Amino acid sequence: MTSTADIDAAASPRENTRFKDKKGETVISVSGLTPGAARYSRLFDVLVVAAVVTIFGGAIHLHVMLTVGDWDMYVDWKDRQYWPLVMPVSMIMFPAALQAIFWVNFRLPIGATVGATALLIATWIGRYANWWIWTGFPFTEGVPSQALAGALLMDMTLIVLRNSLFTSIIGGFAFGFVFWPSNYSALAPFYLPVEHQGMVASLADMIGYTFPRSNMPEYLRIIERGTLRTFGSSVSWVSAAFAGFICIFMHQLWWRLGLFASQATFLKNSDVVKSFMGIKSSVAS
Amino acid sequence: MSGDALPRMANVTVIKTFDIHCGLFAFTMVALTILYISARLYQQAFGFSMGLDANSPEFDRYWMTLFRIELPVLYGAGVLCWSYLFLTRDRSIETVTPETELRRYFYLTMWLVVYSFCIFWTGSFFADGDGVWHQTTLRDTPLTPSHIILFYATIPIYLFFGVGSFVYAMTRIPAFCRGVSLMHAIAVVGPFLILPNLGFNEWGHAYWLTEEIFSHPLHWGFVVLGWCALALAGVLMQIVERFRELIPLVFKQDAAGSPTDANPFRDAWEKCGPEAQRQRYKPTSVSGRRPISGKSK
Amino acid sequence: MLLKLIKFAAVCVAFIAGVSHAAAHGERAQEPYLRTRTVQFYDVHFSKTEVKVNERFELTGKFRLMQDWPDAVTPPDIVFVSSISPGPTIARIETYLNGWPARQSFARLELGRDYEFRMVLEGRTPGSSHIHPSISIKGSGPLVGPGQWVNISGEAHSFAFPIKTMTGLQIEDLQTFGLAHAVGWHLAWLAVAAAWLSFWLARPLILPRWLVLQKGREDLLISLRDTGAGIIVSAIVLVMVFGGYVRASAEYPYNVPLQSGLNRVAPLPASPAYAEIKVISATYDVPGRSMRLATQITNKGSEPLSIGELTTANIRFLNQSLPVAMANVDPSYPRDLIARTGLKLSSDTPINPGETREVRVEATDAVWELERLVSFLTDVDSKFGGLLLLYAPNGERVIAEMGGPIVPVFTELK
Ligand SMILES: [Cu+2]
Repeated sequence: MTSTADIDAAASPRENTRFKDKKGETVISVSGLTPGAARYSRLFDVLVVAAVVTIFGGAIHLHVMLTVGDWDMYVDWKDRQYWPLVMPVSMIMFPAALQAIFWVNFRLPIGATVGATALLIATWIGRYANWWIWTGFPFTEGVPSQALAGALLMDMTLIVLRNSLFTSIIGGFAFGFVFWPSNYSALAPFYLPVEHQGMVASLADMIGYTFPRSNMPEYLRIIERGTLRTFGSSVSWVSAAFAGFICIFMHQLWWRLGLFASQATFLKNSDVVKSFMGIKSSVAS
Repeated sequence: MSGDALPRMANVTVIKTFDIHCGLFAFTMVALTILYISARLYQQAFGFSMGLDANSPEFDRYWMTLFRIELPVLYGAGVLCWSYLFLTRDRSIETVTPETELRRYFYLTMWLVVYSFCIFWTGSFFADGDGVWHQTTLRDTPLTPSHIILFYATIPIYLFFGVGSFVYAMTRIPAFCRGVSLMHAIAVVGPFLILPNLGFNEWGHAYWLTEEIFSHPLHWGFVVLGWCALALAGVLMQIVERFRELIPLVFKQDAAGSPTDANPFRDAWEKCGPEAQRQRYKPTSVSGRRPISGKSK
Repeated sequence: MLLKLIKFAAVCVAFIAGVSHAAAHGERAQEPYLRTRTVQFYDVHFSKTEVKVNERFELTGKFRLMQDWPDAVTPPDIVFVSSISPGPTIARIETYLNGWPARQSFARLELGRDYEFRMVLEGRTPGSSHIHPSISIKGSGPLVGPGQWVNISGEAHSFAFPIKTMTGLQIEDLQTFGLAHAVGWHLAWLAVAAAWLSFWLARPLILPRWLVLQKGREDLLISLRDTGAGIIVSAIVLVMVFGGYVRASAEYPYNVPLQSGLNRVAPLPASPAYAEIKVISATYDVPGRSMRLATQITNKGSEPLSIGELTTANIRFLNQSLPVAMANVDPSYPRDLIARTGLKLSSDTPINPGETREVRVEATDAVWELERLVSFLTDVDSKFGGLLLLYAPNGERVIAEMGGPIVPVFTELK
């Protein structure tokens, strides 16, 4: 029985006289999609993009909020010890899985960027619509972090090295490591010192203090408590390097989870259920 | 097997132009957007003015009334929709034509887009609002202006579409009826479990009296369930794998009209004979991924 | 504009519904043991209840940490002095605990001792705000003092919080300073991401790429040009990351880390005169809304003492026949927390130094139910606590702690 193979052969462009000219080969022509099919395939692309942006906007934001949200929500949680560590470790998870899904199945080196972009946009929508319009917290109090610098580097590593292991080691490390410098550039003004009641405070401390949050007493902040004084004065780089180290493993773990999630497994359905749709249990091919 | 399948499939040589209808999908997206924005406006109008004290009469009037209405209405709508989908099921799902099947795959995709859209509003927008609402009040009862929308309105809405997509697929798409899509099940059941996980969350808040650290381990149950969103990737793969088989069948007239008049699809199809056609057309095997030719040459 | 319309609509609806304000924002949801047996506030004073936007007012007072601290509440080892408002409707300017700056938290407050707080606050959001002093205890959350309505008038947008940094920079408004800088960076990153994404999304995506990949034609999907683009983008990203960092470090050389750490503060000195109170029996009459105590009071000071007030959970039962007790009521104290019927005593004559006397105390008012304190019936330990304020003829005040098991009575007492 060779007929099944015939169909596949027919769909293959190498058998098709239209595509013999190698220069004229495009993704569409090689894929074997006719113009009409390509039109619907593009509609399918649009639907998939819509689903990806919204579901991962929601899922990644929820994930970051509930694992390390406090560091992201409040400017006076953005310390040198934990913020550069916990944020990238949590933020890399979905982008790594998305990288695997998009790269392995579609050779698209965009997964991490898609995830980090969806997260940042979703976060700012919340800051605007809820924090500002609803409850009136100033934007400076809730200015978020971004993971785009690291996500872009991770996608670039993938397209250049085309290998998940090296992407973990180099791209994953880069993701964790550049979180601190790329966010410090944006938030540096908030660490200016002020004198308040005879004590030193950073502007970030002052913002958190001035605009009261009823369930955020000062002691709840899990921030640097006076350790981490070694390594010259560049203590944040220690956190950044540590974050990079953990991100290597996180990336590989979540890459695998992404692969696991993209398997097209069907489990056996029960005969009773199938019989509702007219499939007889005795049917066997 | 009844002989129905083949004659109906034979008809596919006479194909009308393939088309799908996006009207209901567009309407649903617009309606949901309006619904979500209205819920947010309701919070804006009555969150601070009527929603600060769960024991006050105005809270009862403005918030508990909403709570009492939304729960039966939203879950009731869900049950009605799922029942409707089941009652209008395809009773001979194996004899479906390729066009119809392809169309149904597109509709399944639309169900999943709507589901994703709902997950965004729940997981990001209203969850974020809940986080900041906690910073405006002392810890109140489990029913607050943010919880009444987040937990008791937006969750039933995404369940409507999540479970709906599952029932739709099982009652209309052969592959999803012969076998249960593992990833589709995870993608629907995971977020569904957020609802019972609420019990754990509120139990912890009631007895451990922790303050509102958002990243507290008490909240991590929600996180694990949110990870299930990744499983939609598996559904995507199931869809494209089936597309690969259906699209040549549905769009073969395109190929027929090509300048060289070569129609490899039709020719191959007609050459291969009825038994092979059925073989070829059979939905993805129950055990899993079809062997894929030409992978990583 | 939309926002204004919404607010306007909300105000209209509130007006039509005839509800002026929500009276509470969760304070009544706290269990009675949290409110009667932990932190007892007294002498709370609001310097103003009508302020304009950007106008300051002070909230002062004292509190006693009760000896009979409930097991379910973590001890006051880490404590933050705070104010509670419905959102940031006020701005905090300065706060003090026993004169110490209270921007940070305090370590180890002592049970059975008194502390004094002072908060300088400023009106921010126009409207009526319910403001409470509060003591947050790590592991237990905020324990609040009496809430008072503060009316803030003026325009919301006229609020600004200027501050001067130690580097000499005058900041116009803490609410917006640095925001454009941060958002600018986020937009720059989004622009790079958008460029990269559109580079790929413009091409045929899901199905065609998958089919081509199945056919082993990866060469069509990722070209050398694409890899080159990737290298260029990484270079841009690295320049932005490290260039931005170097620039920020040069621009802000005197930045400090977040300031944290616990401060320590001594309690107020204990008064030499004191009274000891033993609760022999305590009942709460549910239908009568009345707490009845049989107490044994011993005057351990040198002056005779008269019972002036019973206060618990910020509710005050006053001995209305004792002028000095009535004079102790601050005009700014919330009226809804003062029981109308007052305190009834079986014996009203002063207790002499060294004397031990049995006094029956009755505190009856609907406020028990209004404040949802009756749910001590549902507490696992069915205990209550409170402060008894006694006065010497010279006006000296003795604050005595009392408490013990309480028995609910569900039928009318004779
Ligand atoms: Cu209040």
